[in-house]
Amino acid sequence: MECWNCQSELTAAPVVCPRCGKVQPVPPGATLFDALGLAPSVEVDLPAVERTYRERSLLVHPDRFATAQARERRFALEQTTLLNDAYRTLRDRAARAFYLLKLHGQDLTREDAGAQRAMPHAFLEEVMALREALDAHRTARALEPARAMSEDVGRRRTAALEEAERALGELLRGGGQASALDAASQALARVRYFTRFLEEVEAMEEALAE
Amino acid sequence: MSGGLLQIHDPLRPQGPVVGIDLGTTNSLVASVLQGKPTCIPVDEAGGVLLPSVVHYAPDGSVAVGARARELAQEHPTTTLASVKRFMGKGRHDAETRKLGAYRFADGAGDVVRFEVAGGAPVTPIEVSAEILRALKRRAEAFFSARVEQAVVTVPAYFDDAQRQATRDAGRLAGLEVLRLLNEPTAAALAYGLDKGSQGTFAVYDLGGGTFDVSILQLVEGVFQVKSTGGDSALGGDDFDRAIAEQMLAARGLAAPTPAQVTALLAAARVAKEALTTEESTVLEVEGHRTELARAQVEQWIAPWIQKTGPVCRRALKDAGLTAADLDGVILVGGATRVPAVRRFVEQLFGRPPLGDIDPDQVVALGAAVQADLLTNAQRQDEVLLLDVIPLSLGLETMGGVAEKLIQRNTTIPTAASQVFTTFQDDQTGIDIHVVQGERELVADCRSLARFRLSGIPPMAAGMARVEVRFEVNADGLLSVSARELSTGVAQSITVKPTHGLTDEQVEQMLLDSIEHAEEDIQARQLVEQRVEAERVLADATKQLKENPDLIEASERSELEAVMAEVRRLASGNDAEALRETMRLLDELAKPFLERVMNRAMNRALAGHSVEQV
Repeated sequence: MECWNCQSELTAAPVVCPRCGKVQPVPPGATLFDALGLAPSVEVDLPAVERTYRERSLLVHPDRFATAQARERRFALEQTTLLNDAYRTLRDRAARAFYLLKLHGQDLTREDAGAQRAMPHAFLEEVMALREALDAHRTARALEPARAMSEDVGRRRTAALEEAERALGELLRGGGQASALDAASQALARVRYFTRFLEEVEAMEEALAE
Repeated sequence: MSGGLLQIHDPLRPQGPVVGIDLGTTNSLVASVLQGKPTCIPVDEAGGVLLPSVVHYAPDGSVAVGARARELAQEHPTTTLASVKRFMGKGRHDAETRKLGAYRFADGAGDVVRFEVAGGAPVTPIEVSAEILRALKRRAEAFFSARVEQAVVTVPAYFDDAQRQATRDAGRLAGLEVLRLLNEPTAAALAYGLDKGSQGTFAVYDLGGGTFDVSILQLVEGVFQVKSTGGDSALGGDDFDRAIAEQMLAARGLAAPTPAQVTALLAAARVAKEALTTEESTVLEVEGHRTELARAQVEQWIAPWIQKTGPVCRRALKDAGLTAADLDGVILVGGATRVPAVRRFVEQLFGRPPLGDIDPDQVVALGAAVQADLLTNAQRQDEVLLLDVIPLSLGLETMGGVAEKLIQRNTTIPTAASQVFTTFQDDQTGIDIHVVQGERELVADCRSLARFRLSGIPPMAAGMARVEVRFEVNADGLLSVSARELSTGVAQSITVKPTHGLTDEQVEQMLLDSIEHAEEDIQARQLVEQRVEAERVLADATKQLKENPDLIEASERSELEAVMAEVRRLASGNDAEALRETMRLLDELAKPFLERVMNRAMNRALAGHSVEQV
């Protein structure tokens, strides 16, 4: 690969050319981890992410190129868009796990995808029961029991997320591929259901607070 | 002196100073960095820096802007236009056009607001704003004795895409290259941040003439990061004036005032409001009617407007994941924050006295000048960077009128998101895509930004075509949408333009409403999902009954059809619970029949297999 501007040979896909200082295009297939200079991992060093985000923003943000030529402005926009996406996604523990799963070919964050993930019957019944109980609290405008449910579901969500992280960790270390992938996917599908539930409780709280 | 006529013009680097412009509802300002210091440029002979955002259209076609236009307003109330910022990006029948005012609205092509004026065709708010920008540009050019071609123009943080687009268009009309649309609270923070060299987390409370914004920002090592923003783009000091004027009208029993009376009353109300920021009482005099006004009385009249800002601030703090105690300071911006009741309210809301050491009328323009300098001055580029956010979520209409959010509000810009759609019918060659902005669950409750059609999809079986739609929001907060069919690469790109004027008190109300309606929304969404599911189930059952009539007994069939009819009836009603129950029953009843259908299909498949093997 070479710099589009000065044609010098580039190694390791730098954000800006070390020779002429021009912003480079986002390489095809670049991941969000690449955007922050990280190896794919379950855990990230949050203060380091904040620091890298600021440093890289200062390098590639479109404001730095307000008077540059159109091509470089376009590359700055692409780089910053990816960087912002990486910062938003990788700082959040659950979003990071979903993204790792996506890197392994399963995107559960899409609206139509979650429904397609076949869930064990027992879990669906559990969710159904939770929903019915919440509906009853909503009708009764009973906030306290809804909050208690929310805390309980929050714990179940954390447990499912930890389970997903263990499986993803195993996947990243190269162990038990098919079974680990399935375990991560199952656990994150549960996280998705629980998150929806927590959002509903929050919406109910806001509605009742008005 | 620089920028003379003899200088060679390099299109990539226009010569002359760059300026920051605060295009306000009531007043507008132009500022620039002079000897390293942001400074407002005088716009009148007396050295004043506020240019009233008022434009007068004379019968001879000439145009007056600023203080002169404001003087003419009394004599020519309908052809002198004030506060047009309220109508930027709005439609002809927007709620904003029904508020007390002396405007004469005109009809015309496309759904935008137009004002009847003397001396020519009706004008849009974009054209009126362009007159104000042009006047500022001329004042700056006289000051510098040089051409001014590039500017940073500020907009309320809560402006939606249509309002931003309109502002950018006004700049273009005025002959300015708009280097950046900068959010007003962010500009104010920039002016403060550079002055104090500070670090920390700040709230900016910006109550202008016609718009309210609140932004929560973090400043770390030269990077200003907006954490969240909120607002109401139809709330401001103008509402205080109208509240006072309406009380006066009621007291005099004037039900149908003339435009001249409205203009006179609004002007007198503004004077009284300003007097009451320092005095405990004042006298309002219009057409020989003298009314003694006490500050406490007026504070009662305007209290509802001030209180509307409370929930907006709390939501912004929550979105930032912070509480008031986490803040290092609260910055006041906008002329309306001079009202003592507003200051008391802010102090109580955030639990600390607000900072107001930079003139709240000037601070936005000063920040815009700083940003203009940062964007164009290579020596300053490493000092400071602004990272701003999109104020309202962006989404697409999906089945059943549900809005699916693709970019959440308060996402740092620039940003992008994409979504893959598929065809529902065999040989379908087009897909309609509807782009909306807002927080509510249903499309009908969001602001419609644009509709576009992806055509030329090659004929394929249903579900085979895969169309990727990509939303991009640039650093100005402006949206562009592109779409392409993945297997063939057929592409169509559009930039979202304000295509229709909308029934949108909702636009500004959307976020507030989404709090009130959150519960209602979830139920509405569930109902929509149930209906879609019901249609699928009914279609499937009808098909199987038609193809396998021999696998079901007459009594079983009539029972099943009765329940199907009931599902059909409930699907057009509003009782999601009953619909869900009845679908569950249908599922039970159909199970034995569907098992027989399944067995037959399997036997056929196996038979086919063995035939091939022979």
